[in-house]
Amino acid sequence: MKQSPKESPKNFEASKFSGDGFLGSDQRPVDEIIAHDARTLDQAGIPLAQLAAALETAYLASRDALGAPAETAPEVIGEFEESRGRLPCPFRGCGVFEKGEAVLTDRRTNDTLIITALGIHLIKKHGFFQGSGSRYRIDPLKAAKILRII
Amino acid sequence: MDATMLQSLLVSIAFLASLGLVLAALLVLAEKKILNYGPCDIDINAGEKKLTVQGGSSLLSSLAENDLFIPSACGGRGSCAYCKVKVLEGGGVIGPVEEPYLSPAERKDHVRLSCQVKVRTPIKIEVPRELFSVKRFKGVLERKRSLTHDILELRIRLSAPPAIDFIAGQYVQLESAEYRGRESVMRAYSISSLPSEKTHIELVIRKVPDGICTTWIFELLKEGQRVEFSGPYGEFHLSDTQAPIIFIAGGSGMAPIYGMLRHMRETGNTRTAVYYFGARQQNDLFYLDELRTLEKELPSFSFTPVLSKEPDDSGWNGERGLVTQMVQKYVPDTSKHEAYLCGSPGMIDASVKVLADNGMPTENIFYDKFS
Repeated sequence: MKQSPKESPKNFEASKFSGDGFLGSDQRPVDEIIAHDARTLDQAGIPLAQLAAALETAYLASRDALGAPAETAPEVIGEFEESRGRLPCPFRGCGVFEKGEAVLTDRRTNDTLIITALGIHLIKKHGFFQGSGSRYRIDPLKAAKILRII
Repeated sequence: MDATMLQSLLVSIAFLASLGLVLAALLVLAEKKILNYGPCDIDINAGEKKLTVQGGSSLLSSLAENDLFIPSACGGRGSCAYCKVKVLEGGGVIGPVEEPYLSPAERKDHVRLSCQVKVRTPIKIEVPRELFSVKRFKGVLERKRSLTHDILELRIRLSAPPAIDFIAGQYVQLESAEYRGRESVMRAYSISSLPSEKTHIELVIRKVPDGICTTWIFELLKEGQRVEFSGPYGEFHLSDTQAPIIFIAGGSGMAPIYGMLRHMRETGNTRTAVYYFGARQQNDLFYLDELRTLEKELPSFSFTPVLSKEPDDSGWNGERGLVTQMVQKYVPDTSKHEAYLCGSPGMIDASVKVLADNGMPTENIFYDKFS
């Protein structure tokens, strides 16, 4: 993971691209959210790269099923919702990412996870799982369970 | 560290920070007021159009002030990367804001983000010709009707200018109003109405979860309300050949294909055409009656909806599976066809692969990708 430079907090607020921003109801600074999630992963013994790769695999499996349900892991169903347009990374300088979201549902627990191309990039490159309360936050432990990593 | 030292340190930091701010403000002021770049010429498409603008502004805004609208979703902040144009001479060096949005091939091809290029000297640029006819329009929402649980159709009557010229397959950028603390945004939607009906446009729009523009459209926009948009944009339209056509679409990708089919009927186009429309379940299908009518009225057209998640016991007698499977099943040789695709990047990528595998030259595959 590349160390992210200090970014303007404004980039993470609601904007022309993200109606509710990337922080949800989380009051913590971005650096603190990143550090907290990194500790969580560390304590669980899950390498960030492994989690990011599993997220990407599940996202692509759902995306390539063209709207049909895709079994991304045992008893986990991914469905893709298409959406027109692109989203820029709030850390700036990383380019733009296709919209559209893969919704993963764990049939054992009914837990769901929303994965986007930008969400994967934020984790892979910046270690940023987004703030609590954000629709697009990928909670590391919840994700690891739904992806059958733990 | 004693209190005096700490105080001195804080004063020094405050002084340096203030000095930095003052210098930055002076630079901005100098850029705007003191530096006078004077009139600068913009040569577009090797002399096809020439503009003289006051130097100092961005290329995007200089063009917009002269009614040449380059698509943009971020309003010139250098974050959406929609406003790409070729700058052949006079654009200066690529800045750090632009750099991540330009591929090596684009850089080699002189592509720039027009919002980040400052017009300070005479400049030569290249833009798609269709942008010459792009205008800003004001209109009134005449009708808003649901087509499915998450797709609706808007019918807009134009007021200023009162008419639009477009080609079936093109799109507009609709501007949302500010609401609930959310900024006004521009989003692209394909036109589904007939080009001959110049005083109105119809759009087919799918609800995006938490989408800024679609939340406004679905929840707040009312019939009779004023709307603004710019357009037409895009190079997605039927060719002039007689090659048989394969249309493939999903969701709101229906819009441009439906517009093309209606245009074919109106202009007496006799090309053979098949249309595979992908959806999850029966309740995701729309325009069925209209498309069945088109099957009767066009000399050689068939429409096949394909459902990927329809329950086995629903009584659905139509096709099940993916649109790509329909191509494999019914058009094993696509070498003489042309294809027109509209939908998600996943659907387009998969369709392009199947069509090419079945023999279609890639130059015969045209698409409007939702990206």
